Amino acid sequence: MKVRIMIIIAILLAGSVPLLGHHSFAAEFDASKSLRLTGALTKIEWTNPHTYFYIDVKEEDGTVVKWGCEAGSPGALTRRGFKRGDIKLGDTIVVDGYRAKDGSRLIDARRVTLPDGRIVSGASAGDGGPGNQ
Amino acid sequence: MRNLVFVSVALWVLSSAALAQDNPLTVVDVKSANAKPTPRTADGHPDLSGYWKGTRDTVPGGNIGKDLPGLKLPLTPAGEAALQHNLTATIDPESLCIIGGIPRHNASGLPFEILQGAKKVAFLYWYTYFRLIPIDATRKHSDDPDPSFFGEEIGHWEGDTLVIDSIGFKDEKVWIDENANPHSDALHVVERWTRPDADHIHVETLIEDPKFYTKPFKYSRTWVLGKPDEELQEYACSENNVDKDHLGFGPGPIRPDGTRGYLDPAPLLPPIQKSPVK
Repeated sequence: MKVRIMIIIAILLAGSVPLLGHHSFAAEFDASKSLRLTGALTKIEWTNPHTYFYIDVKEEDGTVVKWGCEAGSPGALTRRGFKRGDIKLGDTIVVDGYRAKDGSRLIDARRVTLPDGRIVSGASAGDGGPGNQ
Repeated sequence: MRNLVFVSVALWVLSSAALAQDNPLTVVDVKSANAKPTPRTADGHPDLSGYWKGTRDTVPGGNIGKDLPGLKLPLTPAGEAALQHNLTATIDPESLCIIGGIPRHNASGLPFEILQGAKKVAFLYWYTYFRLIPIDATRKHSDDPDPSFFGEEIGHWEGDTLVIDSIGFKDEKVWIDENANPHSDALHVVERWTRPDADHIHVETLIEDPKFYTKPFKYSRTWVLGKPDEELQEYACSENNVDKDHLGFGPGPIRPDGTRGYLDPAPLLPPIQKSPVK
């Protein structure tokens, strides 16, 4: 019972984050379109207001498709222990996120699995997106 | 078995929340019975200077109707039409690197910094925006101030309260909050800033806009002092604003609790390997 109460308290605390972001998640991304991308980094933009990772994703038929992955600001990622030097062109990363509402090959990188196996949140701080309400 | 299911669900929720939780931009406001006294400037006024962070109990964030019953803003018909326009035909001006202005910045979750002098006070914001307010009880508003995002702002002291009175706002490319609520050029904002102790700053905001709101309403907020080594960092909004070509109109869905976002997002696939969640 104690454990259950502690878990409930933890969930309540975790859910009560005010919103901060540059823009609302829901203004750009479709929360019904989750997907996982695995690809090699072709371009890294460690910039404000968001960082972008561009990756080449190999489809089942062998064709290579370019995707852009939008993540939080450099400051947000750095606070989570994800530094610019953790990735380089050619590295393979796994990005779990949600596709842009306009149908372009751009996803919100909610979760990034780095080459060293670490998993970090790529979410823009407090954008109201999944897991960040 | 039920317990096992409950714990599994709880851990899944916690792990997804934890991914986005490592965010020291806001804090849990831990009230202390032994609060340190309000610092004061040489002329005896409270010193509002500091790096101020929002609290986690400021809910719903980014919603100027936070303190109203049912979060219901008293919109006039023209205000309702302006809201619908904002929702269906405008992109969030802040996401296009346009200054949010007042009172929107007071409803933001982002920290800000105050530097107070004897005759001026500066509010410094993320996105590298600022407002510089004269403190002068003899100064009057202009007859026809040039419209601006922060308005024509004049400060004066009423006891330990710094009052900032602002008129002369823009009526285009502005949302009054992150939910796309509107304001007109008839906006009049009166902010009453206090620092009740060393670790807290508080504002009571009176918002009047007879074009878009049937009556004045209030928005109150408390922030907590950041750590000594925390300060604003560069945040160049227009450096690489790829977003601007992908954003839709309005803020997207607004939940019943007044926050922005979807109620039932599709889950992500489970993490591909076990590793510490950062």
